[in-house]
This record gives sequence, structure tokens and C-alpha cells, in this order.
Amino acid sequence: MDYFLELLLGGLTRGSIYALIALGYTMVYGVLGLINFAHGEVYMIGAFVGLIVSGLLTVLGWPVLAIVAIATVCAMVYAAAYGFTIEKVAYQPLRHAPRLSPLISAIGMSIFLQNYVLLAQSSDFQAFPQLVPDFEFLEPYTHIILSSELVIILAGVVTLIVLFLLIKFTKIGKAMRAISQDRQMAMLLGVNVDNVISATFIIGSALAGLGGILVASHVGQINFYIGFIAGLKAFTAAVLGGIGSIPGAALGGLILGWTESFATGYVSSDYEDVFAFGLLVFILIFRPAGILGKVSSEKV
Amino acid sequence: MMLKLNDIHTFYGNIQALKGVSLEIEEGEIITLIGSNGAGKTTTLMSVCGLTPPRTGEILFRGKQIHALNADKIVALGISQIPEGRRIFPEFTIKENLEMGAYLRNDKVEIRKDLDYMFDLFPILKERQNQRGGSLSGGEQQMLAISRALMARPTLLLLDEPSLGLAPIIVRQIFDIIKKINQEQKTTIFLVEQNANLALKVAHRGYVMENGQITLVDSASNLLNDEAVKKIYLGA
Ligand SMILES: Nc1ncnc2c1ncn2[C@@H]1O[C@H](COP(=O)(O)OP(=O)(O)OP(=O)(O)O)[C@@H](O)[C@H]1O
Ligand SMILES: [Mg+2]
Repeated sequence: MDYFLELLLGGLTRGSIYALIALGYTMVYGVLGLINFAHGEVYMIGAFVGLIVSGLLTVLGWPVLAIVAIATVCAMVYAAAYGFTIEKVAYQPLRHAPRLSPLISAIGMSIFLQNYVLLAQSSDFQAFPQLVPDFEFLEPYTHIILSSELVIILAGVVTLIVLFLLIKFTKIGKAMRAISQDRQMAMLLGVNVDNVISATFIIGSALAGLGGILVASHVGQINFYIGFIAGLKAFTAAVLGGIGSIPGAALGGLILGWTESFATGYVSSDYEDVFAFGLLVFILIFRPAGILGKVSSEKV
Repeated sequence: MMLKLNDIHTFYGNIQALKGVSLEIEEGEIITLIGSNGAGKTTTLMSVCGLTPPRTGEILFRGKQIHALNADKIVALGISQIPEGRRIFPEFTIKENLEMGAYLRNDKVEIRKDLDYMFDLFPILKERQNQRGGSLSGGEQQMLAISRALMARPTLLLLDEPSLGLAPIIVRQIFDIIKKINQEQKTTIFLVEQNANLALKVAHRGYVMENGQITLVDSASNLLNDEAVKKIYLGA
């Protein structure tokens, strides 16, 4: 039973991470109809910023709580700045180009950022400090769940709730939804599409940065390539849940997380990816638009 | 002068859709632009709204140049469009669609009042306010599209073929509302129509467009009696 619980919570942890990153894919797809392949790299950069800032503050002897808070905020702000800039540099100039162009630009951006970090940080794995302290109240349960896992799950849940409220009730959220349904009509009602797209990139990237630092602190090591792998999984989660749908990103993340966790736990970790992508293929056969995705008739 | 188009040329890539269009609308007027398929009517409206800005020529709104402004800035000046095909947000509820019309406004109390006004104008919208926009019939969608545009409290309202695909009785209702908006709210109306007969009956003046150019301008009553117009656009 404990083993099952461990796998369940482990899957929930993975799922939260995937959801956190998948939200960025899905939000950008919603407003731009574009897969932002550089999104995983933003996650990776968030992790590196977390490493640098926490290392610096540790050397300076700051208290643990302050280090965690500042490193997290820095990772998110930095990631947001990257996301904003990526959109301005790689996508905005191609707003009216054929659909393939921004896609290629996205792949180029991803490769560029990976190699830029590779040059700056080398390809070696670097140890990442454990930012989340061991909670005493979890002491008896460490065989089931770690403190860092609990933090990841909580962060995932809180983020989802906040984002849901934002999308549902705020002006910017309504503008995002309007743009995803009919961009021209949104413009005719006074929505400044460029600003909303920027806001989308900023929010999605900040979440990726948060995911980056949380996972890095949980796993304990990072290198330039972690964004590619996490990005691929999160993208899978977004497609699984129905790309463009925010609850879909959450659901897709959870399903993928659990699938991997149980496949690893009951079969073998070698089969983790087989099950993950097998599930994707399986679901897409029956629901081509993803579990919660709409079969879009109007999007050309 | 409320709106003035001065020799505008608009392109889609290399395709030229407007070849030197000039027209004027006085404050409080209803003018109509008629013409056959592909004449450039929609492009004219989209040029005014900044979605397909003209490559050359100028557009003046109350004497101020607007042809280089972003679409949202143009809406903020008080220009709203009800585009061809109505373009209701299908995923939004009817209420959300209406609220979206007031996107640039921040006066909550007044927005609430306007919402009630729209519900008075079209009771069916009130009944179904929490249903998705995509679930409405064509006529209901046109009512919603008009209400949504009015939620912005425009001083100039552009309508692109509001009668398209609607039953005659609904069309009459829509045109009555257009007249009412013009008379009661003093909203200036720029009406694009293929149903020339109906359009010329509500409008004060009319423009006829062919191939991206204005070929005729006159009072609506004169156009209704013009032999060429009768033959081509009134089916007589
Ligand atoms: N997005 C576009 N890309 C390329 N050409 C376009 C585009 N939209 C319109 N056109 C062309 O521009 C010209 C004018 O089109 P427009 O839609 O303004 O005509 P219209 O008078 O509104 O016609 P209708 O009565 O059918 O609505 C047409 O020749 C059309 O083919
Ligand atoms: Mg048209």
C-alpha cells in the first residue's frame, strides 16, 4: 500500500511539473496557434538562474528562507524576461508570415538557447542545492513523499487555481480567450493583441521558471539539456489534454505523470517513455484533439 | 465632418482591393455603401478600423488622421464595427460576449446599465444570457453582434451586411433597430449592404462601389430611382 501511495504521489509530483510547463505551451497555442518550442529552454534557464542566485546568496550567508524566496522570484522574473524577448525577437516579426515560418523560428530559438547555455555553463551536470528544507512533520512519511515533492504539488495546485481565476475573471484573461476564438474580432473590440500576446508569454514563462527551480532543487542536478526533455514531456501532456485548453494541460500533466510513475514502479523505468508516448498515440487515435480539446472547425 | 476617406489604396499582399476610395460621412448621418461581391466593401470598413490599413491615402476621423493607428486606438476613438458574418465568440456566453464589447470601458455602473438596455432591446438575449454564443441562431447572433458593438458606446457604427442570410422579418427588425440607434443615440451609421433596396430606404445617402472604386454618390432617394442602380442592384 505504501508503495502504491509512493507511486501515486510521485506521479502527482511529476504531473504537477508537467502541468506547470504545459500551461505555457497551451496558453501560447491559444493566442498564437503556435507551438513555442523554446519553452523548455526557458524552464532550463529558470533552473540556472535559481542555481546562480542561490549559490551567490549562500556564499553571502543569507538565511535559508530568504534564499529560497529570492532565488524563486529571480528565476521567475528572468524566465519571464526571456519569454517576452523570445516572442519579440523570434515570433512577432513573423506574425503575418506563413505558419511554418514561426515554427522553424521556434526550433531555431530552442537550439540557440541550448547552445548558448552549453557554451556558458559547459555540458556537465552541476549540483543544485536542496532549497526546500526537510519538513519535520513529514519525517514519518519520507518513504512516501519528500518535502520537495510536497512543495512541487502545492505549487502546481496553487498555480492552477490562480491561473484559472485569472483567465476566467480578469480583463487580460478574457482578452486571451477572445483572441484564441477570433483574433480579428478581438481587435475590433479594442483588444491590443500585441500586449496580450506579450502578457501570455510572460505568464507562461514565469511558470516554466518556477517549474525549473522546483525540479532542479528536487532532482539535485541540472545541465543545458534538461529543458529539452522536460519540454518534450510537457508538450506531450499539453497535446494529451487538448492543446489550447488550460484544464487540459493540468489533466494531461497528471495523466502523464501517473502513467510514468506506475510504469516505472510496476514494470521498469526502461519502459517509462514507452508507456508515456504509447498513451499519447492511443488517446490521439480516439480523440485527435486531445482529451479536453475542441475539434476546431473555425481555426484555419 | 465625422469620417473622411481620402483616396485610399488598400492591398492584400500584391492584390489591390481598393483603388483610390474617397468618401465622407457627416455627423448623425446614415450612409450606405452598396456593391456586388468582391467590390471592396468589407475592405473599406476594415481599412477604417485599422485591420487592413491603407497603403496610401488618408483617413480622417473628426479631422484627426487615424489610418496609421493601431486597431485598438481606433476603437477607443468611438468607432465600432459589426463585421460580416457577425463573428460572435462561440465559447463565450452571451453575457460574456456583451461584456467583451465594453472591453475598453471601466465604468462598471454604466456598463451594467447598458447591459440592461441591450436586454430591453432584445429580450431573447436576456433569457439566454448564460448560454454559449455559438448556440444562437443567425438572427439572434446578429442581435448579439449589434448589442456587443453598442456596448462600446460608439459614435460611429460600421455594419457589414447585417441582413445576410436572415429571414425577411428579422431583417426588418434589424433595420428598425439601426434607425432607432441613429435617431435616439445620434450614432452615425456606415452601412454596407448587398440588399440595396432596403439599405437605400434607411440611408440618407449612398455610395456605389465597383472593383475597388466608388462609381456613384448621391442621395438615397436619387439612387433608388437611378436607372443603372435599379438595373444592377435592385433587380428591376
Ligand atoms: N484576405 C484576403 N486576401 C486576399 N485577397 C482578399 C482578401 N480579402 C479580400 N480579398 C480580395 O479583395 C477584394 C475585395 O474584397 P472584399 O471582401 O472587400 O469585397 P466585398 O465587397 O466585401 O465582397 P462581399 O460582398 O462578397 O462581401 C476581392 O477581390 C477579394 O478577393
Ligand atoms: Mg464583404
